[in-house]
Amino acid sequence: MDSIAEAAAPVFPFKRECPFDPPPQYAAARAAGPVCPVTLWNGKRAWLVTRHAEIRAVLSDDARFSGAMAHPDFPTVTAARVVVDQNERAFVGMDNPAHDAYRRLFTREFSVRRMQALKPQISAIAEQLLGEMEAHGPPADLVALLAVKFPSLVMSALFGSPYEDHEFIIACAAARHGLTQSTGEAESKARELAAYVRRLIDVKEKTPGDDMVSRIIEEHVKPGKLARDDFAEIGAMILRAGHDTTTNMIGMGTLLLLQNDALRRQLTDDPSLIEAAVEELLRYVSPVQFSPRRVALEDVAIGGVTIPKGEGLFMLLGSANRDERVFERPDELDFKRDASAHLTFSFGIHQCLGQMLARYELHIVYAAILRRLPNLRLAVPLEQIRFKHDMQIYGVHNLPVAW
Amino acid sequence: MIRVYADPQKCVGAGHCVRTVPEVFDQREEDGIVVLLVPAAPDALAAYLNKAVQLCPSQAIRIEHISENS
Repeated sequence: MDSIAEAAAPVFPFKRECPFDPPPQYAAARAAGPVCPVTLWNGKRAWLVTRHAEIRAVLSDDARFSGAMAHPDFPTVTAARVVVDQNERAFVGMDNPAHDAYRRLFTREFSVRRMQALKPQISAIAEQLLGEMEAHGPPADLVALLAVKFPSLVMSALFGSPYEDHEFIIACAAARHGLTQSTGEAESKARELAAYVRRLIDVKEKTPGDDMVSRIIEEHVKPGKLARDDFAEIGAMILRAGHDTTTNMIGMGTLLLLQNDALRRQLTDDPSLIEAAVEELLRYVSPVQFSPRRVALEDVAIGGVTIPKGEGLFMLLGSANRDERVFERPDELDFKRDASAHLTFSFGIHQCLGQMLARYELHIVYAAILRRLPNLRLAVPLEQIRFKHDMQIYGVHNLPVAW
Repeated sequence: MIRVYADPQKCVGAGHCVRTVPEVFDQREEDGIVVLLVPAAPDALAAYLNKAVQLCPSQAIRIEHISENS
C-alpha cells in the first residue's frame, strides 16, 4: 500500500480548469477513496481528506490530530508558510486546552446578538460605498470600490483600527495568503501586523473608544488575563481574517450572480431567499483552499487507509462542499437548496470565530448591490477577469462592472 | 417533549444554535458561551433542534426525546 501510494502521489496543489470549480482531481479523489496521498513542494508526503464526513471526523478528533502550526511536521503548500506557521502565536494555531482558553476571551465579541446589533452600521457602510460607486460612474472595479473597502470599514468600526490603515492590513494578509511570496516577505509582514496591533493597544489604553480593542483591554488585559503581546498576535489574526475572506466572497459571489441571470432574478424577486443564497454561495465558492491542516499524532486509519504518525493532512473544504454524498447535484448553484451543512467556515474547535459577522456582511452587501444596481453587468469579457490562482484564498483580483 | 443538553465546556461560541433555535439557546453575555433558556422543548421544534445538533462544530449539544409524563 505504501509503495503504491508513494509512486502514485501527485504534486499538490493542483490547478483549476474552470474558474468556478475546484480542480477536477478533487472529484476523482473523492470517488476513489476518503483520503488521497500527495507530494508537497518539499518532497514530503501529505494526505488530502476529500469527503464531507471524514473531514468532519478529523476536525472533531483533537486527540489523534493536532492543529498546532508550530508542529515540525505541519504541512504547508509553500516554503514561505513554514516560517509563518512556526511563528504563529494566536489560538488559530493552538491545540486545546490553550486554544479554548484564549478563544473564550474573544467569543463574546462575535456573539450572534453582538453581530445582529452591528447590522445597521454594516448596512450604512454598504450604502455609503455603493453611493460612492454610483458617483464614480461606470465602468468601475467592484473589487477595488466595494469588495475590498466594505469589510475594511466594518472591521475598522468593530475592531477600532483606523480606516486609513486598511491598505497596510490588506498587504499583510496578502503576504500570508500568497502562493508566490518569499519567506522573508511573508514573515516580516506577519511581524509588522502584530507590532501594529501592539501599538494600537497602547493608543487605546490611553484613549479608549467604543471598539473591540478597548473592550478587551478593559475586560481581559487590565485584570491580567491576557498579555498585551498575546493580544497583539490574536488581534493580527482577527484583522487578517476579517478582510480577505469576505472580500473574496463579495467578488466571486457577485460574479456568479452576474453569470446566472435566472438566479439573480430569483433573488431580486424574492429577497427572503438571501440567507439561503448566501449559504449556497459560501458552499459553492469555498474561498479557503488549503486549510485547515492537521498532523497525525499516531497511526490513524481513515476509511481503511493508515495515515502514519507524523504525516500531514489537508482538509479540502472545497471538495467537502461538492461531496455528492451530502449535496445533490453539487456542481449546480441552487438557492432553493439547504446548503447549511457546508464546511466553508471549517468544523471543530477552530471553526471560524467571525462567521456570523461574515454572514451578515454578505446578506447585507449582496442585497444592497441587487437593489441599487439592478442593471449591473460585467464591463469586460469573462476572460479579462483575473482569478486568484496565485493565492491560498481564492477569488477575483478585479471585477470591472457597468450598470 | 425533547430534553436538551448543552455542554458549556465543549462550546466554542460559534452561535449556530442561537441562530437556529433562539427559543431554546442563547449565549452568555460575559463570554459568548452557550446557555439553555429552557430545559426541554416541544416536539414541534424537533427539526430545528436536530439542525442545531448537526451544525454545532464542537458537539456541545445533545437532545433526547422524552414522553409527556416522564
